[in-house]
Amino acid sequence: MKYTEMTQWLITNGVQEEMLTLLVAICLLATIVSITRYIVGTKTYGIYAPIILAIAYSYSGLKYGLAITIIVILSSMLSYSILKKIRMHYITRIAANYCMLAMGLLLFLLIVNKYKIGLGNISAVPALSIISIVALSDFFTKQQIKKSFKNSIMVLIGTVTVATIGWFIITREFVSMYFVNNLILIPLLLAINILLGQFSGLRLKDRFRFGSIVNGNENAKS
Amino acid sequence: MLNLNNYKEVLGLNRRNQEYIRPYNPPSAKAIADNKVRTKRILAKYDIKTPEVYKLIRNKKQLEFLDWESLPKSFVIKPNQGTGGNGIIVFYGKKKGQSAWIRPNGDIMTKRDIILHVENILEGRFSMGNKSDIAIIEERVKTHPFLKQYSYKGVPDIRIICFNNVPIMAMTRLPTKRSNGTANLHSGAICTGIDIGTGITTYSMHNIDDKNIMSDTYELIDSTLDLKNNKPLSGIQIPFWDEMLEISLKCQKASGLGYIGVDIALDAEKGPVVFELNARPGLGIQVANQAGLRWRLEKVKGLDIKSIKHGIRVAKNLFGGEVEESIEAISGRKVINIKERILAYNKGTDFKKKKIEKETITAFADTGVLTSRINKSLASRLGYFESIKFFNQLDIPTDLTSFKEAQDIINQKSESITVNSDIKRLAIIIEDEKINVRPVINVLIKISGQLKEIEMIVTKNIPAAIVLGSNDLKGYLIDTSNTFKN
Repeated sequence: MKYTEMTQWLITNGVQEEMLTLLVAICLLATIVSITRYIVGTKTYGIYAPIILAIAYSYSGLKYGLAITIIVILSSMLSYSILKKIRMHYITRIAANYCMLAMGLLLFLLIVNKYKIGLGNISAVPALSIISIVALSDFFTKQQIKKSFKNSIMVLIGTVTVATIGWFIITREFVSMYFVNNLILIPLLLAINILLGQFSGLRLKDRFRFGSIVNGNENAKS
Repeated sequence: MLNLNNYKEVLGLNRRNQEYIRPYNPPSAKAIADNKVRTKRILAKYDIKTPEVYKLIRNKKQLEFLDWESLPKSFVIKPNQGTGGNGIIVFYGKKKGQSAWIRPNGDIMTKRDIILHVENILEGRFSMGNKSDIAIIEERVKTHPFLKQYSYKGVPDIRIICFNNVPIMAMTRLPTKRSNGTANLHSGAICTGIDIGTGITTYSMHNIDDKNIMSDTYELIDSTLDLKNNKPLSGIQIPFWDEMLEISLKCQKASGLGYIGVDIALDAEKGPVVFELNARPGLGIQVANQAGLRWRLEKVKGLDIKSIKHGIRVAKNLFGGEVEESIEAISGRKVINIKERILAYNKGTDFKKKKIEKETITAFADTGVLTSRINKSLASRLGYFESIKFFNQLDIPTDLTSFKEAQDIINQKSESITVNSDIKRLAIIIEDEKINVRPVINVLIKISGQLKEIEMIVTKNIPAAIVLGSNDLKGYLIDTSNTFKN
């Protein structure tokens, strides 16, 4: 693979190629999260969860990543509804949730191994990416305990959507190659974020939410 | 086509954070609003009432030694630094002979359940950023009977947003069955906009979220939901309105928050009680008022407000009065004054004729009586003189001792009154605390532009020539302060 001089210099000076791609991906993903938050208004579990999820998806493949996400969330919901009936402390509840989650995943891997269900290659998915997705359970359960189930599901959908968009962008070979070869784009992303930080316009979601006021006023005037 | 310029009136989350919360709410002031115990302490200095604290539990040791028996039967447990109403549990009563308390939905929590909940609060489950927290056990606000009729079980609250010492916008949140008695809009409570000028409710919305998990949209509604008697939501005069505006501005001064949301509940005995101060008030209030916050905030920015009274006056002048134009449109009802000028037409008026005999009189709206009443002399002037004379000739005894006696007389005379076509029936009424039987006639009147023939009892000693009873006031909103019409 042919790199520009600057990139080549970095690689020969102790920065691994994969590391460089990952660092670029993180900057891109972080910017995607801030755009979706402040321009669109999508809620995510902070900024860490969508970034780590997108990276995990890029290692596992979207199909496997989403399948594991669904399993993680389903087992979290199941364990939460079982544990809800038991009187217990907050952290123990989350810890117990992890234990049940581990069992759920084991069961899932066994089922996939036996019946394939279109996920025959799951054994090739790096374990670390699975574990990264499992971390989502923590965000999901905490949000559910603090706010509500509905709220947590909404934020989950936001997180997975943003992560999928992120996955799509960082897995395009030409995008990541372009960024790796033009590292000057990273300060540009920084500048975009600084500008976004000053943005005080309406988010798309605000427009949707307050549309009735504007439409209502229009009707009243006509 | 949508006119995008209209969106300029609306305040979005980005602008709220950038231009209002960050510059006007210093961290020290936010720290007060985010801490209910500090809020209470500071508001007390300004003589603002908050729910009385029974106990503060700061650690497990204090929880262990808590004297549960010393608590009143009803109380509320709250996390000191909780957000969005999470972790708040209300208890209505104590189970007899047991260490167990009853929640508004009938659930029973034993002492052990409550201890666990308090432990969760202490561990920071409900506080911002999982910090360890304090549990507050405080007085349960007993909803003012007037607002009680509009809400399901829980306590409705009134949110007033103030900026630069001017009340900007207000709404009330009414708990519903779906919101499980909480005033939380996301869980389905009703939010109703309030006209700043008058304290009269305007539009009402509720979240239709439960049908669609992705949507955060609100639906306009006209009346309360799931109550035994559902009532129209617009046109309600919030009691103690001016006092509430004053309290909200005092809270702004006390807390140092430049942009503040003050939540006030109306206690049956104490009157307005401040629930909490909000340093990051939500934007849903715009939907409830069908009006944007942005232009209101911009109008007030930079004004030199000299006193609380001045701030209220500015708010009323700038933002009040919208209700005047829209209330009839919203509610589909006409507004009438408590003393309303009406026209009373002579008996048998023929509108085809050139000369129409009528009298302009002041009618008094009295929802305390059912059938409307008319003064004997006015009835005589309107052409019912002969009928009244006929009634007098029936020699019906006056000042009766019981309703039964009166009913017997009506039964006896019911046949003889059929001779007179003007007298529709006889009615029992109480005049000067005495029971009497009086004739009922139909009178044609014009009220608020509408012609109506209404049944009236002919009587004397009434506060106006005509008293309109609740039978004939259906479909009207009565304005007791002559705000809307002169």
